[in-house]
Amino acid sequence: MPARNRCWTANCCWYSSVLELSNVSFRYPGADTSALQGIDLQLEEGQCLGLLGSNGAGKTTLLALLSDTLALQQGEIRWHGPRSLGLVPQQLAFYAELTVAENLALFADLYRLQGTQRRQRLELCIASSALEDKLPRRAARLSGGEQRRLNFAIGLLQPARLYLFDEATVGVDAGSRQLLLDAVGRLAAQGHGVIYTSHYLDEVERVAGRILLLHEGKVRLDVDKNQLLDAGHGLLLEWPEQVPAGFQGLLDQLQLSAEALPDGLRISNLDCQQLLAITQYLAAQPTPPSLLRFGRPSLEQLYLSLNGGRL
Amino acid sequence: MSPLLALVRKECLLLLRDPHALAVLFIMPILFLVLMAAALSNYLRDQPPPLSVVLEVPRSSEASQFFHEALMAQLPGSLLLASSDEALPRISLASDFSETLLNIPHKGPVLSFPARFDSQSRQRLRAALNIALAQTRLLAYLEDSEALPAEMTADERWQLIRQRTQSEVVEFQVLASGELSGKANASQLSVPAWLIFGMFFVALPMAGGFQREQQSGALLRFRALGVSPASLILSKLLPYLAINLLQFALLLAIGIHILPLLGLSGLNLPGSPLAYVLLALSLSLAACSLGLLLAALARSGEQALLLGGGLNIILAAIGGIMVPKSVMPEAMSQLAEISPMSWALDAFLTLLVGQGTLADIAPDCARLLLFAILLGGTGLFLFRKRVQQTQWTTHY
Repeated sequence: MPARNRCWTANCCWYSSVLELSNVSFRYPGADTSALQGIDLQLEEGQCLGLLGSNGAGKTTLLALLSDTLALQQGEIRWHGPRSLGLVPQQLAFYAELTVAENLALFADLYRLQGTQRRQRLELCIASSALEDKLPRRAARLSGGEQRRLNFAIGLLQPARLYLFDEATVGVDAGSRQLLLDAVGRLAAQGHGVIYTSHYLDEVERVAGRILLLHEGKVRLDVDKNQLLDAGHGLLLEWPEQVPAGFQGLLDQLQLSAEALPDGLRISNLDCQQLLAITQYLAAQPTPPSLLRFGRPSLEQLYLSLNGGRL
Repeated sequence: MSPLLALVRKECLLLLRDPHALAVLFIMPILFLVLMAAALSNYLRDQPPPLSVVLEVPRSSEASQFFHEALMAQLPGSLLLASSDEALPRISLASDFSETLLNIPHKGPVLSFPARFDSQSRQRLRAALNIALAQTRLLAYLEDSEALPAEMTADERWQLIRQRTQSEVVEFQVLASGELSGKANASQLSVPAWLIFGMFFVALPMAGGFQREQQSGALLRFRALGVSPASLILSKLLPYLAINLLQFALLLAIGIHILPLLGLSGLNLPGSPLAYVLLALSLSLAACSLGLLLAALARSGEQALLLGGGLNIILAAIGGIMVPKSVMPEAMSQLAEISPMSWALDAFLTLLVGQGTLADIAPDCARLLLFAILLGGTGLFLFRKRVQQTQWTTHY
């Protein structure tokens, strides 16, 4: 029986777990430190996990372990049900000299798709990646964005319980990006597990319901995205140069505290009177702030504050 | 379609769409074959080529005419000119040629060669001159000693001398043994030599394709899919084995049917077809195993090209492909024994020139198969390791 656990999304319901990682650690041969240390993670069906972390945080190692392209050294990765994985790597993992149709047919054969299922999956992937009119064209002659879409389509072609996306939209134009992100969203909505990693944090914010932040090989944060963003609700201020000299005095007077960000301050838990006092003060200053935003921060702003300004 | 068949089909499509690979595998060996067969056709032929020689006779005599006849008999089909402005080899008889024939020591005609006259033809002309001169001197001796009837015509004397100076030499050739490249004609040497050379070039597209597969990330997908290294290796080996067999058949067909149309000796395939099948399979396996090893060793397409091309040229140079082993010095000829191309060429010559049988080429085929097992085994081990080391991405 698959394990059943509470899902992380706001609309609470019961989902089956896709896989579970217990105390997973990994160290590359010759490295001084571990790339991953004691990772515990459980991913549910229908859950899209946004995997974040700066370069070297361990994201790729985690993806490699999940895809079985790295041998597990310590800990356990337990699939609840059969292991089935769809993969969209950062590299353009197809054959440039084959046509789009030939590439899709090759991977359909490798995925052992047959009959109606094969036809349906091909139609779905071609439509999801807007490749209908590119089928007879050699992959080498596609634009960079079209090649990304083909890479995406090949990953999507496989019927899988878990899909891994690693920088899947690099170089894709805005229109196509929306198309691909919609397809990722649909996967989660259909009950598939999704792990999505990208340096475009607006994309992660859009598709992911849960955020996992890795830092130096450890889980620094594993939280529901909405909870995370709600917790960051407040006033965000940025100045082109430095914070005005009297601003800290104003905050003391209003009995508010501010969190320093790389380019400014975030002030949480303030009421309307306090907000009014601050805006009046700012209006009287010779140098206005370059950014003044009241509400939920973006994931990128939160990520930068959590990660010490490092992407 | 099964995954293995799909991978094989992919490999075939990629090869068909790679003009460079097709050029290396088919056009290059065909061009080499035709050009080298034509270039060597004078040097390596069953019948020596006719020569054009100037015979300068300052004073004609019965003896000088006899010498002319005798020389012509030694150089069938050749032209003996009285004079020429061209740079031709020259035989100059002395004006007292007939009077001094019985002198001891005897001073013969003066022989001069133009610079571009090859050493084999020089040797042939020297031998012809010495025989014709000996026959002329024998006639002079017989006449001087009055051993010939006075009523004998010049033609009868010539026939008599020929009969008395000719013997039937029984010549045997031990077939299917030893170094045969010296006995082969240009087609018998060029066709197998460049066929072998071309077949070994499958290593380049094989290794290059694998590098591209790894760099593109396609191999990563295969690994994540759980495609076994055995399937991957077979998907590479099967198409290239087929390409090798196609090269084998095509180049032999060119040797048989096309070379005669170009005025060159056509190739005959004596012996059992099974012997050719065994040789083709052994050779293909050896060439493909080298490709597999190269695929596992090279780290980029460029490296595969340099390593594979360089190695093939070295193996060909020392293996008697570019220069026949028969003209190599002893040490080089022995060095040739380390090249699998030499083993394959020896087997070919045993069949084509030595009229050998399947049993005669079995040792060379066994060497090729052993080479295939050793290199293929190492390649297999390294290839598996390489596939297993294929990472999600090159940076972490």
